[in-house]
Amino acid sequence: MIRATGAILATIAALWAFAVAGAPADAMQGAIQKILYVHVPAAVGAYLGFLTTALCGALYLRSGAERWDRLAISAAEIGVVFCSLNIATGPIWARGTWGHWWAWDPRLTLTLLLWFIYLAYLLLRGFTEGSERTARFAAVYALLGALAIPLNYFAIRLFGGAAMHPDNLQRGSLGPGMGWPFALGLLAATAAFAHLLALRFDLESRRVEEARALAQERRE
Amino acid sequence: MNAFLAVLWKDLLQEWRSRDRLVAMLVFSALVIVVFHFALPGGAGAQTRSFAPGLLWVAYVFAALLGLGHAFAIELENDALAGLALAPAERGWIFLGKWAANVAILGLAQAVTAVVFGVVFEVDLLPVAGRFALVAVLGNIGLCAIGTLAAAVAVRTRFRELLLPLLVLPLLWPVLSGAVRATADLVATGRMGFEPIQLLIVADAAYLIVSFVSFEYVLDE
Repeated sequence: MIRATGAILATIAALWAFAVAGAPADAMQGAIQKILYVHVPAAVGAYLGFLTTALCGALYLRSGAERWDRLAISAAEIGVVFCSLNIATGPIWARGTWGHWWAWDPRLTLTLLLWFIYLAYLLLRGFTEGSERTARFAAVYALLGALAIPLNYFAIRLFGGAAMHPDNLQRGSLGPGMGWPFALGLLAATAAFAHLLALRFDLESRRVEEARALAQERRE
Repeated sequence: MNAFLAVLWKDLLQEWRSRDRLVAMLVFSALVIVVFHFALPGGAGAQTRSFAPGLLWVAYVFAALLGLGHAFAIELENDALAGLALAPAERGWIFLGKWAANVAILGLAQAVTAVVFGVVFEVDLLPVAGRFALVAVLGNIGLCAIGTLAAAVAVRTRFRELLLPLLVLPLLWPVLSGAVRATADLVATGRMGFEPIQLLIVADAAYLIVSFVSFEYVLDE
């Protein structure tokens, strides 16, 4: 599984790097526009992570099967990494084109709030003792966090600042020659998410088994 | 339903006898207001007045976090929390009892804080008192829904005082932005738009329902 996802990721990433290198520079923004091929895919990875976390949390509460919790923590950590990448690349691009490092733009605010929710999720896991209790608390918080996404979206639509981000990309809104690297970037982010999830899930499973074996040893 | 009334009555009676949560919240929010006075240059000018609704809600949220942390900490004594978990009642109703007690205590603190705030920052809330009370209660409902659930989670973790604000604040945004906007409209024009109230109602209902349902998984023996 891990080998297969790794091979897929390596292939797509190589194609993506090649396509980005060959993509034309933007007529207005120049080379800095190429950050698009990292910035948007990172957002896709982040949302994939957070949706998976909430879904696995719900499945855990329903079934009580521990593997769902292992998947949830794996997805949350990867989601936070992607979200950090998205939030870090944004200001670099913004400074070059909007002239500010930061703007309280609706989509930016939404992503930032999401980032804080899942940081809190990870802290909650870190501060709770007992694996079963941790899993339960984390699942409940992930569900509340998933609920906060549409609510935040609704709130921002009502009173957010002026929109700086374009509306969702429509066909033809990118310049000629930019579609391929962009699409490959989205694919690469999805492949990277899948591969990291498989790796992290494996690691978590080993950790749990190791901890169990240690506890057993101590009892004996 | 009986569990709801029993828990509500117990919490209110306990608060009435000790009054420590309410006093702590009031002193704390008064201190926050004093801090605002020193933090804002020019004191109570027209400019400060335009920030006033936001500042008032910041004071409310801080006071609420203080009170909410205590709501479940008191149950740790004599292992009363385990007793609650073992009670032969639907746990959702226990949650609602706790929640309603929090709403009542925080509401009282909010009313007193609003008076002090209005006097100190020269914001006349009296002509809009009824509508402001509605906004405060709506904000309070959502704040306490997330807060009560998060407090029940945080009380069973290490460093619970540290964790509670981190859990509550990122989720609070829809409630807080609706409440601040509605209050700002009230202070500026004496009227309020429908959108903030709509947002508050939707957010309150969503958080209350999810907290009611998921409280079952939060309480443990």
